Amino acid sequence: MRFLHLIVVAALVSAAAYVYKVKFDSALQAERVAKLTADLAHERDAIASLRAEWAQLDNPTRIQGLAERHLKLKPIDATQFDDLAHLPDRPAPPPDIDDPIGAMIDQVPTSSIGTNGAAR
Amino acid sequence: MPWHRRLVQALLYGNNVDRDRKARARLGLAMLGFALIYGTIACKLVLFAAVPDSHAERHAGAGDAVATARPDILDRNGEILATDVKRPSLFAEPRRVIDVDEAIELLTAVMPDLDTTELRQRLGGKRGFAWLKREITPQQQAEVKRLGVPGIGFLTENKRIYPDGPEASHVLGYVNVDNTGVAGIENWLDAQGLADLHRAGFASDRQQEPVELALDLRVQHALRDELIAAKDKYKAKASAGLVYAVRTGEVVAMASEPDYDPNNPRQALDKDRVNRLTYGLYEMGSTFKAFTVAMALDSGRYTLNSMFDARAPLHYGRFAINDYHAQRRMLSTSEVFTYSSNIGAALMARSLGITAHQAFLRKMGQLDQLKTELPESRKPMVPSHWAEVNTVTISFGHGLSVAPLQAVMGVAALMNGGYLIPPTFLKRSEEQARALAKPVIKPQTSVMMRYLMRLNAEKGTATKADVPGYYVGAKTGTAEKVFSGHYVKTKLMTDVMAVLPADHPRYLILIMLDEPQAIPETHGFATSGWNAVPVAAKVISRVAPLLGIAPRFDLPPADRFILAAAKPTQ
Repeated sequence: MRFLHLIVVAALVSAAAYVYKVKFDSALQAERVAKLTADLAHERDAIASLRAEWAQLDNPTRIQGLAERHLKLKPIDATQFDDLAHLPDRPAPPPDIDDPIGAMIDQVPTSSIGTNGAAR
Repeated sequence: MPWHRRLVQALLYGNNVDRDRKARARLGLAMLGFALIYGTIACKLVLFAAVPDSHAERHAGAGDAVATARPDILDRNGEILATDVKRPSLFAEPRRVIDVDEAIELLTAVMPDLDTTELRQRLGGKRGFAWLKREITPQQQAEVKRLGVPGIGFLTENKRIYPDGPEASHVLGYVNVDNTGVAGIENWLDAQGLADLHRAGFASDRQQEPVELALDLRVQHALRDELIAAKDKYKAKASAGLVYAVRTGEVVAMASEPDYDPNNPRQALDKDRVNRLTYGLYEMGSTFKAFTVAMALDSGRYTLNSMFDARAPLHYGRFAINDYHAQRRMLSTSEVFTYSSNIGAALMARSLGITAHQAFLRKMGQLDQLKTELPESRKPMVPSHWAEVNTVTISFGHGLSVAPLQAVMGVAALMNGGYLIPPTFLKRSEEQARALAKPVIKPQTSVMMRYLMRLNAEKGTATKADVPGYYVGAKTGTAEKVFSGHYVKTKLMTDVMAVLPADHPRYLILIMLDEPQAIPETHGFATSGWNAVPVAAKVISRVAPLLGIAPRFDLPPADRFILAAAKPTQ
C-alpha cells in the first residue's frame, strides 16, 4: 500500500514537471513568433518608406530638372526612330580557323611586304 | 440542565430549538464559503496561466483613432503614386496624467509649436484617450520619451505620401489627417469598402492589394509640363489636358492647371484649382461640330459630298450666325468640317430636327451626368427649353455646357468604330472595354469621321497639330465665354481634340486653354489654331514615343489612306 502511494506521488511530480516544461516551451515559442511578426512588420515598414523615397527621387519632374541642368540631351524626334526591319543583315561570321592572325598574314601578298621593306 | 442555563437558552434562542442541528448547519455554510473562495482563486490562477498577458486593453480606445492603412496606388507601369509610411503620433491618457502643469511645461519645451491652452484642455478631462500631436518626427519622439511624463504615449500611424507631389493631384485626390479619402481616387477607395473595413478595425495593417490606375506617370508628366508652359506662354487663366485611350476608355493622363500638392492639400479647396476636366462645365465650341457632322452622316441623309448653303449668315431674332472663316459659298460636308462653318453645322442639325439632335446627343452621353471613379462630377447644363435656336447653336458647340471628359468620351466613340465606352481611371483591358462598349454609330460613319479629322489636320484649322510621323487628325474649338448672360469676344476658351494615328486611332488628346491671350508670336490671334493646337503638337511629339506609337513617314493623304482603304471592307 505504501509502495503504491510512492509511485502515485512520483507520477504526480513528474507529470507536473512535464506540464511545466511544455508550458514554458510554448511561451518561448510564442515569444519568438511575436518577435518575428514584429520584425516582419518593421521590415515591411522600412521597405515601404524606402520605396516611397525611391519614388520621390525617381519623380519625372526631378529627373527632368537634373537632365536639363547636367545633360546635353534633347527630347527625341520622330525621325530618330527606325524599324527593326531596316537594320542591315548581320555580317557573315568569319571562317573558323585555328590561327586568325596567321591567316591574316597569309592573306597579305608577300610582294607588298617586300616593297614596304624596300621603301624603308 | 441547570435552571440558569435553561433560562439563558430560553431568552436567547427560544424553547424548542435543537442547538446541535443549528451548529452543524453553520459548519456546512462555512465550509461552502471557503470552498467557493478557494475555487475562485484556483480558477483565476488557471486563467492567468492560460491567457497570455497583453497590453491590448490599453490601446483598445486608441485603435479607432489610428489612421487607416490604405492600399498603394500605382500607375499602369507599377510606379508608386501614393503609399503609406509609418509615423509616430503623440497621445495622452488624461486619467493617468498626474501633474498637468508639469506635463504641459515639459512638452511645450520639446515641441514649441504646441498650443498651451489647447493642450491644457485636452489633458484636463478625465477621458481615457486624447491625441496631442499627429505625425511627429523620430527625433521629437526620442526627446519626449526622455522626458518621462506619465500618461503620455506614442502610436505609430500611417501617413499618406505622394512621392510625385502635384504631378497627378486631380486624379489621386488627397486624404485628411485620419487617412480618409477626401477627393479623387482616394475618396473612391473609401467608397469601395475601405471605410467600412476601417470601422471594423481590419484596415490597420498595410497588406492590401495595390490599386492600379490607367495613368502613365511619364505621359502625365509630359502633359502637365507642357500645360504649365502653355499657361505661362499664352498668359491663360488655366489650362487642362487629357490623354485618352479610345479603345479602352482609359484616362492615360489628365492634368488641370493650376493644381495642388496632395501632400499639403490646403490649396485644394481653392476655387481656381478645381479639376476642370471632370468638374468644370464648358461650351466646347467647334469641337462639338464633330457630333453634328457624325449625326448628319450617320442619319444616311447626307454624304461627305452633300452641299450646304453658307453664302449668307443665318438670322434668329437678334442673333446672326456667322462663320469665323467665312467662305460665302456652297460648302460640302467635309468643307463644313475643315472650314469649321457654323452655318453649315447649323443647317445640318436644323434639317434633322430637334428630337433627332437631342436623341443623338443623349446617345453620345452628352446630356447626362458622367459618372467615373472620381467624385468630382457635375451634371451638364442643358437648356431647360430646347427650341430650334438651341439645336442650331448647340450644333456648333454653344448653349450646351458639358464636362470636357464627357466630350472626349463622345469623340472617342466617333473615332473607335462607333463604340461608346465609359471612361475609367483604373487599368482596363480591351476585352473588359468591349464588354462595356455600346455601339452608337455605324462603323462606316466612324471611318468618315476619322477621314474628316485627318483632313482637318492636313488642310483645315488644325494644320499645326500635324506632327510629322504620327498621322494626327484634329478638330479645333474656340468658344466665347459667357459673362452676365452675354458672349464676350475677348474672353475665349480654346480647345483641340487630336487623334493619333488617324487611320487606326489609339489615343485622343484634348488640350484646353482658358482665356489665352494673343501674343506677338500668334500675330494677335487668340483662337484655338494659334494656341491650343501648337500645344497639342508639342504634347504629341513628347508623348507618342512613350505611348509606343511607331512613327511612319510618307503616308498618303487622308482620302486615299483612310477612305479608300475602308471601302473594300463594306
